[in-house]
Amino acid sequence: MSLVPDNLNYTEEHEWLKVQEDGQARVGITDYAQDSLSDVVFVELPEVGDQFIKGDVMTVAESVKAASDIYAPISGKIVSINEKLEESPELVNESPYEFGWMVLMEPEGEVNGLLNAASYRELID
Amino acid sequence: MADFAGWKMPIQYNGIIAEHKAVRERVGIFDVSHMGQIFISGPDTVAFLSYVTTWDMKRQNDSDCRYCHILDSDGRIIDDIIAYTFTSEEYMIIPNAATIDTILSWLLENSGDFDVHIKNLSNDYFCLALQGPEAPRLLGQHLNTSVKPFRLVRERNTIVSGTGYTGEEGCEIIGPSEEVKKHWESLVDMGAEPVGLGARDTLRLEKGYLLSGQDFDGTQTTLETNYSWVIDWDHEFIGKTALISQKDRTYAKLNGIILDERGVLRPGLPVFYNGNEISSLTSGSLSPTIRKGVGLAYLNLPINSRVTVEVRGNHLNGHAVRLPFL
Repeated sequence: MSLVPDNLNYTEEHEWLKVQEDGQARVGITDYAQDSLSDVVFVELPEVGDQFIKGDVMTVAESVKAASDIYAPISGKIVSINEKLEESPELVNESPYEFGWMVLMEPEGEVNGLLNAASYRELID
Repeated sequence: MADFAGWKMPIQYNGIIAEHKAVRERVGIFDVSHMGQIFISGPDTVAFLSYVTTWDMKRQNDSDCRYCHILDSDGRIIDDIIAYTFTSEEYMIIPNAATIDTILSWLLENSGDFDVHIKNLSNDYFCLALQGPEAPRLLGQHLNTSVKPFRLVRERNTIVSGTGYTGEEGCEIIGPSEEVKKHWESLVDMGAEPVGLGARDTLRLEKGYLLSGQDFDGTQTTLETNYSWVIDWDHEFIGKTALISQKDRTYAKLNGIILDERGVLRPGLPVFYNGNEISSLTSGSLSPTIRKGVGLAYLNLPINSRVTVEVRGNHLNGHAVRLPFL
């Protein structure tokens, strides 16, 4: 069973997103996604300041067997990246919702069009 | 699961890195029953196999195994095989799954002058590879036997050879298909970790072993793959004339590329030298042992030359190395 925390939003492409109190949105990939990827050995992160439109390829997670694109769940600007992933990409597998987060975004406009936990659970069921 | 030469085979059981480490540190088991088993027998067996491979089988003793290449008349590799010597009049060769039919036709086509009998029993035999430092112990426990590298023991229908594709100690067990489950379950019970195609690829890549159909695809010679040690020049064989004339020319040879920065290499990625695209990777991955991006490419460059590999538009720095990586 994949873990799907109630307090997050999700995309159909298996990213999660959490809007913080300061309005910035933390983004990563779901437990389901990390499990399908298996051992993540390299994460290619964007640079701080990069702008993305919802659906753009924002990050690439590479396992031993394949490279997988990770899409911007919303439009916005990158304000921070998880530099720990450079040394320890396995954090994506070990802690997808916490230490394995990927980027922090400044949303452009309203954050909408995402799935809640219940809908995402249905999707991966 | 992946489709591999018509076989459904698992990419991984428990994770590629965990499986890779199990083989390097303990013991793993691979179901490689897709590999072929072609039996050659008759009074001219040695002469015939010496003619169709790069190796002079007169140098084989009974119970020897030998890795060598089967070439076309232009010296290009049709497949790499292991030849098992039971006696001078009975051999078995192990071609790759995708080339069984090609090899079989090639052998039949070239056997006209030889008194040999060629029998394809690929569908009747399983092959399990037991690999890793603990493999000898498990083999002893399981079949009460042991085998030295590149030697074989045969008891009735079961053949155990000191061979593999990982660079570790270990063996391959070949026997009648209906017995595969018994062997697999018993060895897994004893602690052998099941290993899929994913780790099979990273294990062989670290050792610079060729993958048929990928590192050679019918257009490269043995010399180009940098495997001249599989050639015995003192005998006549198909492709020899072409190889002799190639010897004195310069040509690109298969070498390793190791990344000097973080990244994962994949087959097909373009390789650059001084800004010019000079080759592309035939194999590539991340080495779970050295934790660096590694790949193979045909290069006409000195070892240690600085190259870049283009990954998603970025040029990653690396250099050419002699194989193996590990």
